[in-house]
Amino acid sequence: MNTLLSDKHRTVRRSVRNFCERELRPIAKEIDQEARFPWEIVEKMGNLGFFGVQVPKDLDGAGMDSVGYAVVIEEISRVCASLGLCISVHNSVVIHPLLAFGSEEQKQRWVPPLARGEKIGAFCLTEPNAGSDAAAIEATAVRDGDHYVVNANKVFVTNGGIADVCLFFVRTDVKAGRKGISVIVAERGTPGFVVGDLEDLCGMRANPVSSIRLYDCRLPAENLLGKQGMGLRIGLSGLDAGRIGIAAQAVGIAQAALEEGVRYARQRHQFGVPIGKHQAVQMMIADMATQVDAARLMVYRAALLRDQGKPFSQAAAMAKLYASETSSKVADLAVQIHGGYGYSKSYPIERYYRDARVTRIYEGTSEIHRLVIAREVLGQ
Amino acid sequence: MGLHIIVCIKAVTLEPPRGQLIRSVDSLELNPFDWPALEVALRIKEERGGTVTALTMGSEDSVFVLYEAMAMGVDRGVLVCDRSLAGSDTLATSTALAAAIKKLSPFDLVLFGTRTADSDTGQVGPQTAVALDLPMVTGAHSIQWTDSGIHVERYADGFREEFKLSLSVALTIHPRSIQPRGLRLSGIELAFEEGEVEKWDLAELDLSPDRVGWAGSATRVLSWKRVTRERKCEFISGTANEQVQELVSRLKKSGFIG
Repeated sequence: MNTLLSDKHRTVRRSVRNFCERELRPIAKEIDQEARFPWEIVEKMGNLGFFGVQVPKDLDGAGMDSVGYAVVIEEISRVCASLGLCISVHNSVVIHPLLAFGSEEQKQRWVPPLARGEKIGAFCLTEPNAGSDAAAIEATAVRDGDHYVVNANKVFVTNGGIADVCLFFVRTDVKAGRKGISVIVAERGTPGFVVGDLEDLCGMRANPVSSIRLYDCRLPAENLLGKQGMGLRIGLSGLDAGRIGIAAQAVGIAQAALEEGVRYARQRHQFGVPIGKHQAVQMMIADMATQVDAARLMVYRAALLRDQGKPFSQAAAMAKLYASETSSKVADLAVQIHGGYGYSKSYPIERYYRDARVTRIYEGTSEIHRLVIAREVLGQ
Repeated sequence: MGLHIIVCIKAVTLEPPRGQLIRSVDSLELNPFDWPALEVALRIKEERGGTVTALTMGSEDSVFVLYEAMAMGVDRGVLVCDRSLAGSDTLATSTALAAAIKKLSPFDLVLFGTRTADSDTGQVGPQTAVALDLPMVTGAHSIQWTDSGIHVERYADGFREEFKLSLSVALTIHPRSIQPRGLRLSGIELAFEEGEVEKWDLAELDLSPDRVGWAGSATRVLSWKRVTRERKCEFISGTANEQVQELVSRLKKSGFIG
């Protein structure tokens, strides 16, 4: 499976895998059970460049390409999807828009500490009444001299409990519909910036997902990203990049589930033989391995297109859709192979099963992705 | 001229062999015992300046270990690669490495891991030192610099040994003596962007094929098969005190304690 990758990307895979096996594997179960963000490992990951994978070197990033980025996210998620999620969101939908739409001053101010992992980023789009319909957001930013006064209630914010630099999608023109949305950066600690309770989630429990509210929060006008009214464009651009990250994350979870399924099929004996000798289990393993392989190839293709400067939106949407659906299916089959033990917290497969599920929901549901793909295919 | 440190490293197989050992790019990794040797070299470079060269012998597929070493901070990578090297045992490997190290002269330190994770002999370091007529300390734990050379410490069988050595010196580095740094993504990017690996064949080393490979090997592995150890499970009965006494006496008898 790895032969498609260059020597550089294989080296990335080996080194990230070694790090995750050594540092992350021993705590992955515990941080899931305790719903605890592992600060103890973040500094190490920051030193290795995981928080600024595609950030140019002059802004303290690693300067890698998208394929390298996909490999990093895949390998982290193979061991701990919660941290894969943290790093994917941080890199794809926070840093990428700052790099793509930020002024030179904004990049210099926010990107280096984010790339070093000293600050954590969050993407604040979803609201109680706006999710898939991003244009329905109700958060407002009203210009007052050289500031904006922002009121917002953002929910299900990945990294919400720990984020320092947050991209807020707000309405700057209430009459302009889709064109009245802008992105403004709010930093934790600004008066009026309030972090809500952490969500008690089914999966991805080590990621502190929370609501973030801004109450009459005065943000300097220079915190506006791009121009007023560019919000949806910025958001979609971030989500395009984000799809590769989430798809890679789903592949990592699926790979982990496949490995657990195979391990158990070799080890568990029934009717006098390892259950992997039974055709029913072999059929499952074959489907799982094939689908993981296909999902991985789709992710790498999307990443490669992006690296080549070619349109990658459609490929990324397909990869996100297929990889997230695959991770759920593969985790489900791996639970089935485990039988009753798969439903127990004694084995890691139940965590992968829970973690996989949400990849079909966040950063665009499977249904929204199908709409996007179909419109493109139909030329609508 | 600054210090020149040469670190000999190897690509080892990740998977235990099933039948014949097949080395391929996806089943290899840098020998885990070599990471500490690289780390020692890089710390010396950071403290005292100089250059670090990583040297490996193997097929073209092994070249990645040199890029990994460069990603860590090594300055130069050399791959000794020739079809005639296939089948080399530890003696033939040491002969080839010694020839490459001579070509890399002048040097001050030659470092090795204590052993490799796949063949596990621990012979290549010492044999190479002999071939180069260098003083060697195996399993070095720490290195202090003195006016005339280095002061090396090693721990063995409950004793601490100290050695005073004049350069040039060969050492194998104890795996628990130092925590190797991880590979930074920016280091990997830089190594593959700017790093260059030199490839040397036997002609460049001025070695005749009969001194290496099968021809130059003093040993032959006759067969290779997996050995699994039978595990026994036995319950000791009696009161807690009786169980403890019985367990202790059995452990004593077996030589595990006492």
